[in-house]
Amino acid sequence: MSEVISQQTLSQLVDQWISQGKRVAGPTRVKPDVLLYEFLTAADQLLLNGFIRPANTIKELIFPRTEKLYGYRLEGKQIELYDVEPPATEQIVVGARPCDAAAFPTLDYVFNWDYKDPFYRRLRDLTTIVTLACRDHDEHCFCTSVKLAPDDEGGSDAMLFDLGDGNYEVRCLTDKGKALFAGATQSSDKVGKAGPGPEPSIDLDKVKQFLDTNFESPQWQSLSLRCVGCGACAYTCPTCHCFDIVDEGNAAGGARVRNWDACQFSMFTMHASGHNPRSDKSQRQRQRIMHKFQIYPDKFGEILCTGCGNCTRNCPVSLGVKPVLEAIQEIATTETIETK
Amino acid sequence: MTNIYKPDLMEVLQVKQHTPDVKSVRIKFQDEARAREFDFHVGQFGIFSAFGYGESTFNICSSSNWKDYIEFCFRKTGMVTEALWRIEEGDTIGFRGPYGNSYPMKEWEGKNLIFIGGGIAMPPIRCAIWYALENREKYGNITIVYGARTVDDLVFQDELDEWATRERVTVIRTVDPGGETPDWTGKVGFVPTVVEESNIPMDNTAALVIGPPIMIKYTLPILAKAGIADEDIYTSLENRMKCGVGKCGRCNVGPVYVCKEGPVFNMEQLKTLPNDM
Repeated sequence: MSEVISQQTLSQLVDQWISQGKRVAGPTRVKPDVLLYEFLTAADQLLLNGFIRPANTIKELIFPRTEKLYGYRLEGKQIELYDVEPPATEQIVVGARPCDAAAFPTLDYVFNWDYKDPFYRRLRDLTTIVTLACRDHDEHCFCTSVKLAPDDEGGSDAMLFDLGDGNYEVRCLTDKGKALFAGATQSSDKVGKAGPGPEPSIDLDKVKQFLDTNFESPQWQSLSLRCVGCGACAYTCPTCHCFDIVDEGNAAGGARVRNWDACQFSMFTMHASGHNPRSDKSQRQRQRIMHKFQIYPDKFGEILCTGCGNCTRNCPVSLGVKPVLEAIQEIATTETIETK
Repeated sequence: MTNIYKPDLMEVLQVKQHTPDVKSVRIKFQDEARAREFDFHVGQFGIFSAFGYGESTFNICSSSNWKDYIEFCFRKTGMVTEALWRIEEGDTIGFRGPYGNSYPMKEWEGKNLIFIGGGIAMPPIRCAIWYALENREKYGNITIVYGARTVDDLVFQDELDEWATRERVTVIRTVDPGGETPDWTGKVGFVPTVVEESNIPMDNTAALVIGPPIMIKYTLPILAKAGIADEDIYTSLENRMKCGVGKCGRCNVGPVYVCKEGPVFNMEQLKTLPNDM
């Protein structure tokens, strides 16, 4: 037995949420060739059919590109700080890719260890995520290589399965998900099924072994040679979470703001003295891969990658995690053979 | 909801210029209740802000025994430090902290101490020196070797003078060749060479070495040769930081988040870290 919802009822539900003043986001076509997760003003903007992989991720709904941490007012020598708390509007994402949603249980660790990040937690609590299990994938997808699946439930409050007959099976996974679809579904005997997903192409144990023993490997040079340092990989990554803190304002007042940042930028680690621990792009590429597949897993027990493939899809020179891991795997295999 | 990024407002009590581009600032909490509950350990750092310009990370260079105020010291090099350079007595700045771990002052009890610093690294050593002097009976001989590029670049000179008058304290000052003045009475030479040539007794000794990477690199073998174990040689890593609370992702050295697991490390620990510095 399952619970199903028709496409039409789903559309009505989305319109109803919007009319209730909730912020509803989902994949939508903003230009003929550009798909993005955006806030919707009507359900008909929502794209749920076919292979849909927005160029951005839903990370920005919970960890915004730019976010005010607090405001300040200056009057003479007097300074006043005040909280800048946006209205507590409920957010609903519909039709998110499971690889986007799966980032949040992983990100929860870093935003909550020891010091709890109140901004992240607040938006995380306000957001309900309805994913759509993937039926298709493209050549950049590699969720199955990082122990996820086209219907991975991590981070999802509810998951939709396209039944192919104008209906979706709805699997409510949390109380939030149940509340969202309460009374809107009908019992059925049809059960949805995700696509098979990409064939796994990466042996994570082999990669980890390489990373644990090859910090100084000259291979990092060749693995980063064509990187242009644009940071698109980090900005379109569901799990990259590095940020900068800057002041935006003038002599009278303004706000302290946190903005996304990326370890691929040369200034990222630059010391005041001019010394830079990662002055070379090979060191920065190594940091990004190490952070995702060695440092984060060692620290928090989770890989900092969901295999969405956005880093490669958005990369001007077709780098990104998957090609690098595949190259590492090849190097590791070749070197093993050589040592034999 | 506690906003971990919101600083305390601090009143500037005193600004002191040490060199053409280094100042130290004494500040106190505007909020009296916060001032009373505030506590830190020498070696910890804070994130200091000039509103409208941003935040910078500095060691809290005052002793943790000084309860009425804290101090920090900076070199004018960028937007925030240019703004901090302009602050005056009575101004308000921001402070978050204390963050990170601290010097093992307890473990160092009963030992001789060697403090070796280069340039702007005197402030993060200064807090430990004062702390040791304020608990004088707990520590053995104290040797301070401090070098800078030129005579003009030495900071806290008046305090170096004062330390030199204390019992069982030796202060050795040096400047890089060419950085001396005609009336300079200290040594001329790079810090590692001066450490080596000064025949400092190094038995039962803990060392705190902070300075440019190149200074640290050439000083360590000398200390090792003199028989100081790696676990007794400490430094403070001054990586670039933004959040200070293990989130923003830029201060890590390999697996270690310097802001949370550092900034203080001994050489035994550093040896296990990759060359990511």
